[in-house]
Formats: sequence, C-alpha cells, structure tokens
Amino acid sequence: MSARKLGLKQRYALMTRGLDWETTYQPMEEVYPYDRFEGIKIRDWSEWEDPFRLTMDSYWKFQAEKERKLYAVLDSFAQSNGQTGISDPRYINAIKLFITGVSPLEYQAHRGFAFTGRHLRGVGPRVAAQMQSLDELRHAQTQIHTISHYNKFFNGMAEWPHMHDRVWYLSVPKSFFDDARTAGPFEFMIAIGFAFEYVLTNLLFVPFMSGAAYNGDLATVTFGFSAQSDESRHMTLGIEVIKFLLEQHPDNLPIVQKWVDKWFWRGHRVLGLVAMMMDYMLPKKVMSWKEAWEIYFTEAGGALFQDLARYGLRPPKYADVATAEAEHISHQNWCTFYQYTHAAAFHTWLPTAQEMDWLSEKYPNTFDKYYRPRYEMWAQMEKDGHRFYNMALPQLCTTCQIPMVYTEPGDPTTIAFRQSMYKNERYHFCSDGCKDIFDAEPEKFAQSWLPVHQIFQGNCGGATVPDVLDWYKLKVGEDNLDFGQSPDRKTWDEWQASKSRLAG
Amino acid sequence: MPTLSIEPLGQAIEVRSGQTILDACLRAGIWLPHACGHGLCGTCKVDVLEGEVSLGDASAFALMDFERDEGKALACTCTLLGDVTIEADIDEDPDAQLIPVSDFIGTVTAVEDLTHDVKGITLALPPPGMHFQPGQYVNLEIPGVTGPRPFSIANAPGEGDKVWLQVRRVPDGAATGWLHTELRPGQQLRLSGPYGQFFVRKSRGGPLLFLAGGTGVSSPRSMILDLIEEGYDQPITLIHGVRTQADLYGQQEFAELAARHANFRYVPALSQEPDGSAWAGERGFVHDVAQRLFGGGFAGLTAYLCGPPPMIEACLRTLMQGRLFEKHIFTERFLTAQDGAAKRSPVFRKV
Ligand SMILES: Cc1cc2nc3c(=O)[nH]c(=O)nc-3n(C[C@H](O)[C@H](O)[C@H](O)COP(=O)(O)OP(=O)(O)OC[C@H]3O[C@@H](n4cnc5c(N)ncnc54)[C@H](O)[C@@H]3O)c2cc1C
Ligand code: FES
Ligand SMILES: [Fe+2]
Ligand SMILES: [Fe+2]
Ligand SMILES: [Zn+2]
Repeated sequence: MSARKLGLKQRYALMTRGLDWETTYQPMEEVYPYDRFEGIKIRDWSEWEDPFRLTMDSYWKFQAEKERKLYAVLDSFAQSNGQTGISDPRYINAIKLFITGVSPLEYQAHRGFAFTGRHLRGVGPRVAAQMQSLDELRHAQTQIHTISHYNKFFNGMAEWPHMHDRVWYLSVPKSFFDDARTAGPFEFMIAIGFAFEYVLTNLLFVPFMSGAAYNGDLATVTFGFSAQSDESRHMTLGIEVIKFLLEQHPDNLPIVQKWVDKWFWRGHRVLGLVAMMMDYMLPKKVMSWKEAWEIYFTEAGGALFQDLARYGLRPPKYADVATAEAEHISHQNWCTFYQYTHAAAFHTWLPTAQEMDWLSEKYPNTFDKYYRPRYEMWAQMEKDGHRFYNMALPQLCTTCQIPMVYTEPGDPTTIAFRQSMYKNERYHFCSDGCKDIFDAEPEKFAQSWLPVHQIFQGNCGGATVPDVLDWYKLKVGEDNLDFGQSPDRKTWDEWQASKSRLAG
Repeated sequence: MPTLSIEPLGQAIEVRSGQTILDACLRAGIWLPHACGHGLCGTCKVDVLEGEVSLGDASAFALMDFERDEGKALACTCTLLGDVTIEADIDEDPDAQLIPVSDFIGTVTAVEDLTHDVKGITLALPPPGMHFQPGQYVNLEIPGVTGPRPFSIANAPGEGDKVWLQVRRVPDGAATGWLHTELRPGQQLRLSGPYGQFFVRKSRGGPLLFLAGGTGVSSPRSMILDLIEEGYDQPITLIHGVRTQADLYGQQEFAELAARHANFRYVPALSQEPDGSAWAGERGFVHDVAQRLFGGGFAGLTAYLCGPPPMIEACLRTLMQGRLFEKHIFTERFLTAQDGAAKRSPVFRKV
C-alpha cells in the first residue's frame, strides 16, 4: 500500500506548530496584558480542541470561491432588475433595518475577533478568532455590496454608517456591541462567540434570510447562504469556548454564568427589533416571532442548557421572562416606531385587516386583547386626519437603550420601571434583567451614550426635531414617515404602471 | 441495503435507501462532526473515496463546485447509490479492534433466574465462536418480534464460544417478555455481533471507575474479568446500583474477586432498600454513592457508565461537576424507543 496522505489533524498540527511560542524579549504578561484581569483561570491552553483544523491556505481558497459565486448572483440580479421582482415594496424596509442595524455589527464582530485573536494565548482559539474576524469583515462587505443595489432605487440606506452611530434606535444594537468590545477577551468570546453566535444567531439570521426568500429577494438570500457557510465555524468556536472555560478551572463557572445571564438578556433586547421585523415588516410572513422563539430558543436552547447543566451551568437568568415577552415584544416595538415614524429611517404603516387576522391567529393570547384595539384607534385617527405622532422624547433604559415602553411581567397594561442609584445619580431601566446588568458594572454603564440625553445636552445638532434629523442625515419626507405617502411607494407604483403598459 | 465503509475507523455499516450518511452513522454510534443538519454549514464534509453517491440538497456555498469535483460530500444530505467508502474527520481509536459483525445461530444452553425480573441466558455459538471486545453487545432476534434487540455480552472474551446475557424483563416488553416466558434450553436464536464502541481504553492506563445500573452490570462484568485476567494493576472500582436487595445479583462473584485482588473494589448500592433492613452496604443512587466514595473529585480517573439513560445522565453530571470530562468518560446507554426523541445540543460528542 502506498503511504497514506497525512490526516487533516496531523497536517494541521504541522501547520500551526510553534505559533504559540514563549516570548523571550518581553515577559508573556506584557505581550498578553488582557487575559488575566477578568478572573478567568486557564491551566493548559493546549487542551483546546480545534474542531476545524482549517489551514490558512485552504481558508483563502474557500472564501475566494464563495465570493466569486456570490458576486455572479449579484451581477445577474442587478442586470435583471431584481429589485422589481420583490413581493411588495414595504419589504425593503426590512433591508433598511438590516443595513443600518445589523451589517455594522458584522464589522464590530470583525474588530472584536481581531482583538481576541491577538490577545488570547492559546494558538487554537487565536487562529479560530482570526479567521472569524476575516469572515465577519467579509459578511459586512458582501452585505454592503448586496444592499447597495437597492440603495440605487429606494431611500433610507445611503447614510447607514452615519446613522448607525447616531440614530436613537440604532444605539440599541450599537451599544450592545460596544459593550462586548470594551469587555475583556474572555467576556467577548462568551458574549459574541457563545451567546450571540451560538444561542441567538438563528433568531437573527433565519428571520432575515427566510424573510428574503419568501419575499423574492434573491440577492439577500444568496449572501445569507454565503455567510451561513461560515457560521458553523463560528458556532463551533462558541461551543468550544464555553466548554474550555468550564473545564479549565472551577472558579470560572460563576464568572461564565454571570456573562451568560448578561448576554442572554442583552441579546434578547436587541432581538426585539428582529421580532418586529418578522411580525410586521415582512409582507409575506415566514412564521411569527413567538414561533421562532419556541423553535430556536425554547427547544434548541433548552437542549443546549440541559447539556451544559452537566457542568453546573444554569439556563440564563430571566429566560422565563424573555419567553413570556415573546407574546408582546414585536407589538410593543412596532407601536413605538409607528408613533415615532418621523424619527425613523424606514417607513411604517398600520397592519392591514388581513395582517391583523394573521397576528390574531399567531398571538391568540394577546393580540386582540391588547394590540388590535390600539391599531384600530390609530386607523380611525388617520381617517379623521389626525395621524398620531408622539413628539415627546422618551426616557431610555440605561442598559439596553430602548425607550421605556415594555410592560411588567404578567401585566401588559403597566409599563415596567426599575431604577438604581449610583454616585448620587438615578439610573432607569426597562426590566430587572437590565437593572441587574447595570448593578453589576455601574461604572461602565454610567458612561452610556444615551441618544435622548445627548439631544437634551445639545450634542445632536440642535434643540428641535428637524435639527436632530438633519444631524442624523435623515432626509425628512424621503427616509421617514408612513409608507403610504413615501417616494419609495411612488417609485414602485411607476414600475408597476410601466410593467402593465408593456404588458398591455 | 448498501454498505457504507468509514475510514479511518475501518468500520462498515448498512444504510437504508434514502437515509443520509450522517443519520446512518449517528444511529450506528459513529459520531461525525455536524451542525446544521441540512446542507448549509459544511461542518459534516467527508471525502468519498469509492462508490457513487447522490449529493442531495447541499448548498452551493457549503459544498462548492471544486469540492464536488474533488469528491467531497456533505454527510447530512448525501445518500448512497451503491456500496460506498468515505473518509471522515474523526480520530482513530487505538484501542478499537474493528471486529467485523457476523451472524450466528446460538443454542440456548442455560436459562437461570438472576433475580425476580432478570434472567441469565447462555447461548452456545458454533465454532469458531465470536471474537468481541469486552463491553460490546449483540443484536438478538426473537421469534415473532419485529426487529432485533440489543443485549450486552456479560462473559469474558476468553469464552468466545458462547454469549452470556443478563436480560431484565421490561413491563409489556415484547422481546424481553418472550425471553422470560418462552425461552427453553435447546432452542435456537439468531443473533449478530459484536456491536458498539463501549470497550476499555486500555492504552490510557490509570485508575478505572465503572458505574452500572441494573442489568447495566453486564458489560462491566466482562470488562473487569478481562482486565483482572490480564493483570491490570491500577485501582478498579465497580459501583452497581439496583433498587433493593431483591434486585441485586452477582454480588458473591464480585465480592470474591475483590477479596482476591486488592486493586478491585466492589460497591453494591441500593436506592430503595427499606429503612431498617439488614442491609449494611451503601444506600442511594449510583451517582450519590460515587460522590461520597470519591469525595466529589474524579479527576485522573477514566469512567465507564452502563445502564438506563437517566442513571447515565445523573452520573455524567456528578462526574463533570467533580471535574472528570468527556475525554475520560465512556457510556453505554440502554436506550429504548421512548428515549430516542430527546433533543440534544452539539455540546457533547460522545456522552
Ligand atoms: C446497547 C444496548 C445494550 C443493552 N443491553 C442490555 C442488557 O445487557 N440487558 C438488558 O436487560 N437490557 C439491555 N438493553 C435494553 C434492552 O435492549 C431493552 O430492554 C429491550 O430491547 C426491550 O425490548 P422489548 O421488546 O422487551 O420491549 P419493547 O416491546 O420494545 O418495549 C415495550 C415498552 O417498554 C418500554 N421499554 C423498553 N425497554 C425499556 C427499559 N429498559 N426500561 C423502561 N422501559 C422500557 C418501551 O419504550 C415500550 O414502551 C440494552 C440496550 C442497548 C441499546
Ligand atoms: S451539518 Fe451542516 S452541512 Fe451538514
Ligand atoms: Fe457574520
Ligand atoms: Fe458569525
Ligand atoms: Zn433595558
């Protein structure tokens, strides 16, 4: 028999041999200054199992091929005017939310993994984090390229990086990642690698990608597939991180537990935006947020935490509260955007009668009782020429930065308010989960850049709504307000008219 | 049914038509890396070395054109069009003997009552007998019952001319019911084997802990007899849990073995023995007794767990919280139809 080619494992060992050398010119402590202050104890980095064993040369080969494939699809999408083939022009608003709210997070993930890839001592996690860093940069880039095509025809997308840094509701996803990126490398790995990429990722990407598939957006579907082929590495890294930390030292368990609790709750709050997108912004519905939560969190997360219980880790604190909120969160968020449509960079609308029936069917416990009457009242007000706008600037939760619109657990007609004192200042929170997070690290969250506070402090372009919108680079009458009167709709109607002229 | 050979294990399994490679492997107890389970992520990529396959619904990004040309496939979507050999990214096990499965006709030579609901069944095999690794099991066919039933081999491998099974009667169980009421010496039964990855990783050395629940002592008996026979000199502990004294069997043999071999410790444990009975031994579930005996710290051991799934799960938690992890734990779950549905996460590969 001829000599067998080297197994993947051997090849990988040879390729990465010595990448974790002990430094001699400088003490290791100074070369890796950030891997001790969080209290995590690592006995032996070599116990890290790298399940991928992907070498850099094959990494480049794969990624280049994925790019080629994706850009071929994007080109043909553009050439065939794919933008005219979507289900309904309202759908584009989900894409606006994605490019302003999610794609910048891919970029943040890129930077965060570059940091951890530099600052963890173990060679396995270092290589994995560096590859993930490059993946995330690729995700950001391909999303920008894909969506740039829609930007030629629709409003609300042109100023996405600017908006991400300034607009009130975009501070919710932005501050989430800012928090993770200003943490130590181990917390970042649990926050993003484990909690986000593993526990919650399906609740973010499946709704957007299946939403795209259901609504005729082939371009987005394709970048979704292209990104998903990287996700297995990301999910596996997340799982490996938590196992590794829990196995290395018993003192790591309470620290990891605290992070799991924190990042589950923070993730749940950010996903409220996705919930609203799923239930209200997709003209053709995939499934309800509540159904997605049941499949991806209650079932898949249940199996996960049952397995992790072997290490003594409990399911995240307030998971039960989050599950109960799945009945409400999409409705409470859409109601908020409806009221603040003048300050949003996408269009809003009232659900149609048909859509409300779908919501009643999907939310038999809550929709007809608490939310349908509100929409019916607003519809009547619109009819009477008094479309309701909320002109007051809302109070924000110091932790998640969402306006204080959520209700008490078990009491959907009372807004939940929590507060804490820190250095003689009072801070406000939307929930026990957010309050606990603040109380654990008040010195960090007391520095939050809260959009409403910043407006009142005069840091956002001026004292009036038009001043602030101008500072957001949000074009009044184009980017904001109801879909019904929008230029987007006019564009779409003209396309339809010319199509029927051609057909007729 | 087409046969799938899996390198580098050198193992072969039967695959139903339309069944994916991943499904067939997982069901046969062969763990392959996987994540999404439906052709999107590429985690389950394998090399097809020989034979024809259908790639199924593999995403163009998870399995790219050049990879298709190179003969790669995604195990979670790929089905067989004939006999196939694949190479998967799995570690070879230096202690696995890779014994091919054969079919046998066994002749019942003895049926004895071990307890009120466990029978010892001896099946003589025609020469040259069955070569097996201690810890493995056979699939036994029972007249009038669809589908074979797995039972672990309780005898040592030196006695390959027969298999000795310890069969508990499952309430309303078709196969175990028949074995308990109809089986007579002289009858013949079809069986195949040996199956399973539950065997002692001797190359690792070190102290061993066997945790057995009920008839889950069958495999450990075979493993321990074999170890002692070949002079293994590291400490070996067997904790055998049953409900009451009436459910305990084998204690005389194990106690004698312990008396003769200082490195073997035998601990029967009763979970439901009435208070105040004459029982002077350990009380409680297997995992509680293990916790007490080892002071809650298991680092440095290699553990072998055999028995009903709830007992295995409880023991896994105790061991892991006592700092013994997956790499050092091997399990044989006496799974039944009703256990199959439990959803698992990808956190653990083997246990
Ligand atoms: C690898 C392996 C090795 C095994 N080794 C042994 C062994 O050495 N000795 C031994 O006694 N058993 C062993 N078992 C368990 C044994 O295979 C089953 O108990 C047997 O298949 C039951 O068959 P049945 O036809 O009597 O029950 P079925 O008719 O298939 O089942 C009847 C009902 O009882 C339930 N049921 C089945 N088994 C059990 C159970 N064990 N506990 C509770 N409920 C059950 C079923 O879900 C069903 O509802 C092993 C199992 C596996 C997977
Ligand atoms: S497990 Fe994801 S592609 Fe097979
Ligand atoms: Fe990404
Ligand atoms: Fe990712
Ligand atoms: Zn909050």
